[in-house]
Amino acid sequence: MIEIKLVVNNKPYTLGVEPSERLIDALRNRLGLLGTKEGCGEGECGACTVIMDGKTVNSCLVLAVQANGSVITSIEGVGNRRSPHPVQKAFVEVGAVQCGFCTPGMVLSAKNLLDKNSKPSNEEIGIAMSGNLCRCTGYDKILRAVKIAAEEGKE
Amino acid sequence: MKYFQPYSVEEAIEIAHASESTFLAGGTDLVLHMRNGKAQPSGLIDLGKIPVLREIKEVDGFIEIGSMATFAELGNSELVAQNAYALWQACQSMGSPQIRNQATLGGNLGNCSPAADGLPPLLALGAEVHLISQEGEEFEPLSTLLSRTPLLGQNTLILGFRIPINGWQSGFAKLGRRRALAIARLSVAVAVEINGTRVENVRVALGAVGRRAFLSESLGRELSGLDLNGAWLEKGVLEVQQIVREALGARASAPYKREAVSGVFREALASIITEGGTQA
Ligand SMILES: Cc1cc2nc3c(=O)[nH]c(=O)nc-3n(C[C@H](O)[C@H](O)[C@H](O)COP(=O)(O)OP(=O)(O)OC[C@H]3O[C@@H](n4cnc5c(N)ncnc54)[C@H](O)[C@@H]3O)c2cc1C
Ligand code: FES
Ligand code: FES
Repeated sequence: MIEIKLVVNNKPYTLGVEPSERLIDALRNRLGLLGTKEGCGEGECGACTVIMDGKTVNSCLVLAVQANGSVITSIEGVGNRRSPHPVQKAFVEVGAVQCGFCTPGMVLSAKNLLDKNSKPSNEEIGIAMSGNLCRCTGYDKILRAVKIAAEEGKE
Repeated sequence: MKYFQPYSVEEAIEIAHASESTFLAGGTDLVLHMRNGKAQPSGLIDLGKIPVLREIKEVDGFIEIGSMATFAELGNSELVAQNAYALWQACQSMGSPQIRNQATLGGNLGNCSPAADGLPPLLALGAEVHLISQEGEEFEPLSTLLSRTPLLGQNTLILGFRIPINGWQSGFAKLGRRRALAIARLSVAVAVEINGTRVENVRVALGAVGRRAFLSESLGRELSGLDLNGAWLEKGVLEVQQIVREALGARASAPYKREAVSGVFREALASIITEGGTQA
């Protein structure tokens, strides 16, 4: 076991983890944060996306030990039913959520984009969302939701 | 499995020497290889806490890139965009945003897949690789290093890369994503030294044509010392097809790649010469 310290959704934790344990396993199994989803487990789908030190990463490809000393935001740290994040609101409004499996990762990619760039162009939105796959909705809806969230944030 | 997190290069080398462990950079290749059994390291030496390895800077007429610089950092670097355009382009199209945030240039060489996107640009740009082990340090041209088997000695750490800042223009293009069948993948990087309307020197590197990326010396010779115009471009297309033919021989992918390379080659040159044959 290796001891790591990290901040997840503004709360500090000290965890004992195995060297081969992935960040997604630590988040789900040790911290009970089940909003982070495992789709492909191979870095292809983005369902496991979290924000680590201000950058989106696939938590299925990061070892928990690599996150030692990091600040992490998972979907649980973004908003909730009572006060959803503008991105979450826009996703619901536009109907960009069907089965919802991809949604946590999508929301984190969108949030991270808007945190850095409050007026993204359509192209910038397309690039920021390109590492998140959805099997259900058309991408149009997802991209439109991000655009709407960006416009709302500006007001 | 053991785990080490050194804070300096010296410490990392010492641990490598003493423990026969494997270096861990971003982990985008290694974590998957550990899970599917392709890699079974007895220990990991995490390079993530050694700040000097992340640096991208200009030193004495070179761009120096630490092995732990990520594709995202390189793709956001003005220095790289200005002086190593082919590498900058490769960083924009590599993987996804999440992968680019994590994947490093050193890991791209360490893993050395036939289709590693970082390698053709580095080859075309004349990059040298800075290596270190208990035996000492060396700078080795990437083209020479890629002909070694194994690529790296046990316990050898890639410190970084250096690319001469020499006013050459360069470009990169690729076909097919990583998950595409090997037959549908191809990449080309070109660097040219232009003097007025004349192409003084050319370096062309190909990826996913054979076991590792390589620099074609004959192509470089054939295309150097000529005027930059439409005829030069067409000559380049014929020559690059010939190189692919020679490299792939009777392999099943040969006919397809021979055709496809002409488009990829033209695209790699798009920032340097227009379809009409004038300088871009
Ligand atoms: C979904 C997905 C998409 C991808 N798309 C692309 C793509 O489009 N193009 C592409 O080229 N690659 C792609 N890759 C492959 C991978 O991301 C790259 O090869 C990446 O550059 C590896 O870097 P890393 O830092 O993650 O290396 P790691 O996985 O940490 O290491 C890779 C290997 O290099 C060794 N190593 C790492 N650093 C050093 C060092 N400093 N000294 C000595 N040895 C070292 C390690 O021991 C290991 O064997 C993709 C991977 C995934 C999962
Ligand atoms: S589960 Fe991590 S990218 Fe698919
Ligand atoms: S809503 Fe089902 S995968 Fe995206």
